[in-house]
Amino acid sequence: MISLTSPVKTRAHNWPAGLKLLGLAATTTLLFLIPGIRFQAAALVSVLALYTIPGRHFLHHGLRQLRVIWPFVALLLVWHAIAGNWPEGIRTALRMTSAVAIANLVTMTTSLGDMTDLLHRLFRPLRRTGLPFGIIEIAIPLVIRFTPVLIGKGRLLLDAWRARSPRRANWHIVLPMALLALDDADHLAEALRARGGLNPRDED
Amino acid sequence: MQSGPGIHVQDMSHNIGPRRILDRISLQLDAPRIGVIGRNGSGKSTLARLLAGLIEPSQGRVLIEGVDVCKDRRAAISTVGILFQNPEHQIIFPTVLEEICFGLRQLGRNKADARDAALATLTGFGKAHWLDASTETLSQGQKHLLCMMAVMAMRPRWLILDEPFAGLDIPTRMQLTRHLENCGVNLVHISHDPRDLAGYAQICWLDRGQIRAKGDADVLSAFETEMIHEGARDDLADLAG
Amino acid sequence: MEKNVAQIALFAALIAALGLVPPITLPFGIPVTAQSMGVMLTGAILGARRGFLSVMLFLLLVAIGLPLLSGGRGGLAAFTAPTSGFLIAFPVAAYVTGLFVEHIALRPIALRAALGAVLGGIVVMYAFGIIGMSIGLGKSIPECLLLVTAFLPGDLLKAGVTGMLVSAIAKARPQSVAWSLNV
Repeated sequence: MISLTSPVKTRAHNWPAGLKLLGLAATTTLLFLIPGIRFQAAALVSVLALYTIPGRHFLHHGLRQLRVIWPFVALLLVWHAIAGNWPEGIRTALRMTSAVAIANLVTMTTSLGDMTDLLHRLFRPLRRTGLPFGIIEIAIPLVIRFTPVLIGKGRLLLDAWRARSPRRANWHIVLPMALLALDDADHLAEALRARGGLNPRDED
Repeated sequence: MQSGPGIHVQDMSHNIGPRRILDRISLQLDAPRIGVIGRNGSGKSTLARLLAGLIEPSQGRVLIEGVDVCKDRRAAISTVGILFQNPEHQIIFPTVLEEICFGLRQLGRNKADARDAALATLTGFGKAHWLDASTETLSQGQKHLLCMMAVMAMRPRWLILDEPFAGLDIPTRMQLTRHLENCGVNLVHISHDPRDLAGYAQICWLDRGQIRAKGDADVLSAFETEMIHEGARDDLADLAG
Repeated sequence: MEKNVAQIALFAALIAALGLVPPITLPFGIPVTAQSMGVMLTGAILGARRGFLSVMLFLLLVAIGLPLLSGGRGGLAAFTAPTSGFLIAFPVAAYVTGLFVEHIALRPIALRAALGAVLGGIVVMYAFGIIGMSIGLGKSIPECLLLVTAFLPGDLLKAGVTGMLVSAIAKARPQSVAWSLNV
C-alpha cells in the first residue's frame, strides 16, 4: 500500500520522527495560545514557505492534501461575514489551515518504517500496563497486507454487481464484504497457527 | 505412547458441527513422497489441516516423528509445514521479508538471525532480489513459491500439500514441482488429480471420510477407473447432509 | 489468540476498504461513504473490547500516514482538521456499540444492533465531533450542533442498515457474532 510519505526526499526525512511529532504538538498548541491575527498569518506563511523548499512537485502534492479544508474555510468566512465579525473568521481559518498544513508536512516527510519504529518505542512502556498494545502492534502489518486484498475483492463484487444490474451498487455490497473479512480472518488465524501462532514478545 | 519416524494417525475422527467429516482413520506412513487422493468433499482438506496440527481432531490423534502436532505446537512447527491451496490464505504480511521472517521468529530466532536465514532461503531459490518486494504485487505462481519458501525456511521434516497446484498453468506447476523436489523434505501431497501423484511410492485413497485403499500406483489407477465410472453418473444432484 | 488478532486486523482492513471502494448508495439515493458504517459494524460484530482495538488500529494506521480515510485521505493532518473529533470518536463509538449489543438483551437482533449503532455511531460520534468542531472552528456548541444535524437523517439510515447487516451476518456466521446467541 502506498503511504502518504512524499517520494521527494527532503532533509526532514532524516530527522527523528519523535522530534517532528513533538514539533507538531508544540506548533499546534502555540497556534491556539496566540490568537493575534498577525501571528496567525505569519505562521501560515512560514508553513507554506517550508512546502516550497523541496521544490514544485512537493509543493503541488502538499497543497492538494489541503483541499479537504477549503469547505470549512469558506464556511467560516461566510458565517463571520454575515455575523459582521470577519476578522474572527479570517483568524480561525488561518489557524485551521496552518494546523492541517503542518501536520501534513510531518506525514509527508516521515517514512512508514520510521513511524512504526516510533510507535514501537511509544508502546513499550504501555505494554507493561498489561493493556493489549502488543496485539495492536502485531496487527499493523496484517492490516497493511489485507486492506488491498479486501479492496480488490470489493471491486470484484462491484463488477459482478454491474454485470447483472443497471443500477449502482448499494449497501448490499457491504454484507458480502463483511463476510469476506470474517472468512479471511479464519484463514489468517489458520496461517498464523501453521507457522507457530502468536506470542507477543519484547523485541529490540 | 507410540513414537518413531513417519506419520502415525491413530484412530482419528473429525466432526464439523453435526457432520462427520473423517471417520476413524488409522494410518502409518513413512516414505519420502506420499500421495492422498480423493474426490471433492471426501475430507481431504480437513485431513491436511489435521496432519498439520491446525485443528484438533474430535477423536484420536496425529503423531509426526513422535510429536503430537496439535498439542505440542512448538515442536510441531519445526516438524511439519503446510502449503494451502490458495496462497492468498497463507500470506500474512505485506512484504516478502516479513513473510519469511515470521515463522523463523516463531522458532525463537532473533531479528537479525531471522533476516539472514530469510535471505539465505531466498538466495537458495535464486530469488534474493525479492527481499523487499510487496507480497501483493506477486503473480499467482510467485505467491505459491513465496509460501513454499516461507515454510521451507523453517526447515520442517514434513510438508503437507493441500492441492497446491490447482488452477496453475503447466509451466508454473512444473517449476513449483521442481523446487519442491529439490527441497529435500518428505511430502504428503493431497490432490484430486491422479496426474499430480504419478510416481509416488505410497498412495492413500480417501473416500467419504474413510480410507478406501492404501498401496502403490495400483491405487491410483483403481481411483481413476472409478472416477471415470462415476463421471458417467449424475451425483451432482445429491445434496450433502 | 490468533483468531482475535486476525479478526481485529481484518475489521480494521474492512473499515479501510469501505472507505476506498467507490461510494455506495443508501435507499433514497443518499450517497454515503460506508466508513462510519464500518465502525458501527465492527463494534456490533466484534463486541466492545475487540471492536475498540480494531478501530484504534485503523486510526493508528491513518495517523502514521496511510491514506485509509474515505477519499484516500490520511496522515496526521486528519487529526488537526476541524472534523478530527469525529475521527477520535471512532474507537469509542465502536466500544459503546459493542457494549450495548453485548449487554442489552433485546430481540430481534437487527433492532439491538441498530440501537447500539445509534448510541455509538450517532450519540457518541456527534458528541465528540461537535466538541472538536467547536474548538477547531471557534464556534459555540449549539452552533456546531446545528451544522451536523444536516447529516442526521443519513446517519440514522446507516444505523438501520447496520442493524440489518448484523442480523444477516448473525444468520450466515452465527459463531462470529457471539452475543447474538444470548437473549
